[in-house]
Amino acid sequence: MRRTAAVLTVLLCALPVLAGCGDDNEAPPASSDSPTAINIEFSGGSVTPKGKRVEVKAGEPVQLVVKADEPGELHVHSTPEKELPYSEGTTTLTLKIDQPGVVDVESHDLDVIVVQLEVS
Amino acid sequence: MAGDGISLAHGIGGAKDLPIPAELAILGAVAALVISFTVLAIAWRTPRYDESRTGRPAPQLLARVVDSTAYRVTLRVVGMILFLYTAIAAVFGQDLLTNPVFGIFYVWWWVGLVIASVILGPVWRAISPVRTINLAFAKLSGSDPDAGVFQYPARLGVWPAALGLFAFVWMELVYPFSTELGPVRLWCAIYVALMLLGGALFGSGFYERGDPFEVYSSLVAKLSIWGRRDGQLIVRSPLANLDTTRAVPGLLAVLSVLFGSTAFDSFKDSTIWVTFTQSSSISTLLLNNLALLGFCVGVGLIFIAGTVTTGVGPGTHRLDLPNQFAHSIVPIVVGYIVAHYASYYVEYGQQTLIQASDPFGNGSNLLGTGDLTVNYWLSFHPTFLAILKVLAVVGGHVLGVIAAHERAIEILPKRHQLTGQLPLLFAMIAFTVGGLYLLFAA
Repeated sequence: MRRTAAVLTVLLCALPVLAGCGDDNEAPPASSDSPTAINIEFSGGSVTPKGKRVEVKAGEPVQLVVKADEPGELHVHSTPEKELPYSEGTTTLTLKIDQPGVVDVESHDLDVIVVQLEVS
Repeated sequence: MAGDGISLAHGIGGAKDLPIPAELAILGAVAALVISFTVLAIAWRTPRYDESRTGRPAPQLLARVVDSTAYRVTLRVVGMILFLYTAIAAVFGQDLLTNPVFGIFYVWWWVGLVIASVILGPVWRAISPVRTINLAFAKLSGSDPDAGVFQYPARLGVWPAALGLFAFVWMELVYPFSTELGPVRLWCAIYVALMLLGGALFGSGFYERGDPFEVYSSLVAKLSIWGRRDGQLIVRSPLANLDTTRAVPGLLAVLSVLFGSTAFDSFKDSTIWVTFTQSSSISTLLLNNLALLGFCVGVGLIFIAGTVTTGVGPGTHRLDLPNQFAHSIVPIVVGYIVAHYASYYVEYGQQTLIQASDPFGNGSNLLGTGDLTVNYWLSFHPTFLAILKVLAVVGGHVLGVIAAHERAIEILPKRHQLTGQLPLLFAMIAFTVGGLYLLFAA
């Protein structure tokens, strides 16, 4: 039983150490002179993309470039939630999310998750 | 499919947790694997959790307080106040997400009850408003609250609770209007009505088997240190306490619903599932229904396969084994629930406390908590959160493997004790690795 305890202790202690290493390696070489831009296109009652994952950095601006054949609204399920209206033609919506997490950007009219922003 | 207007079942809450880093998930999986075989190789060979001897009496003062009528009545009153407060907000409050009913229903009741029960013991049994109402009816009519018109059929076991729990997770995870007031109110009304009917038909003993929340709460309370022997309050190790779980029909079904639904909740936010359902011509609602059911049934089948494939001694029925081992996945279920819901519980739990101060949405601050702000520390420390998740999952796995080992040496014949545990060990590793994978892929 004492051996089990010893093995457990070693393994459990190793967890945070390894996790810590993981973080150190994540030196962000992101040349963030221009913000991440995501192209979204609405046409004929459909949208592309449908549920694409995009990694973005917390606190940095993200541009949603919306090309649409009719006006509408994007719902951003961040904490707190945001609603971003767009018009017919091309609209560039800028978004900044500070809190890390996975944020769904949805079109409620079409009932589609357009993109999932992985904010870290 | 897009456009049917009902496919985006968005629960309460905004952003979801980040996936855990791959290296942490792999490390957790390796740890689970190594620990499993280590336990098998070096753990004790004779049963050590004899219910009639484990634990020691709780401190006298504590036992006297807990067993006093005043304490029991106080808990019942607290439960009734919570119930009535929620009911009033549900009936007279606004149909908006700022109504505290949603947070009380999905966060406090569903997740908070588990955490409270692991720490304090069977909480729902003590505060359950349906038990209190049943008791009050009996007192008024001068009858015995424990006696019903019929005897509860023993072979039903906790199956009614399994169905009730499934109805809850269906409401939470699949039903598209889960965050509208009407459906939540209706769900609660049906729950209360069925519970009062059950109590009238079978007496208060019905709640031990038929109330989904009491079954859930009392089951996870087996991981607390609080037990009873001959009515006396006992303090035992969680593992010894877990071993006192009764193997009743439907026990595995209850656990399969709890584990399967939580796994489905992770899965349904994954890119794989989102892109699949949104590009499929089959209705998302139907696919979600099938996937939820599939996850629950799948968990049950894996566990059955893991337990029946052993040699048994004379007098042991192979098909009794799944329920006799089912208690061993309680810690795995609780570990995964903690991992899955930690930030949701901490953050939306606070949000709910703030909203609870203004149940009618008219700007009032009845509880004085309306001016607090939510502390999002956990979300802002994703690495800490990820480590917490992996520790919870791996910790649950360790306790589960030990609990299964103890049960194997209690009920399997000597020569099958080691080999008989192997399939179950693989089933448990599958659950843990699967859980970690979902936390990584979600």
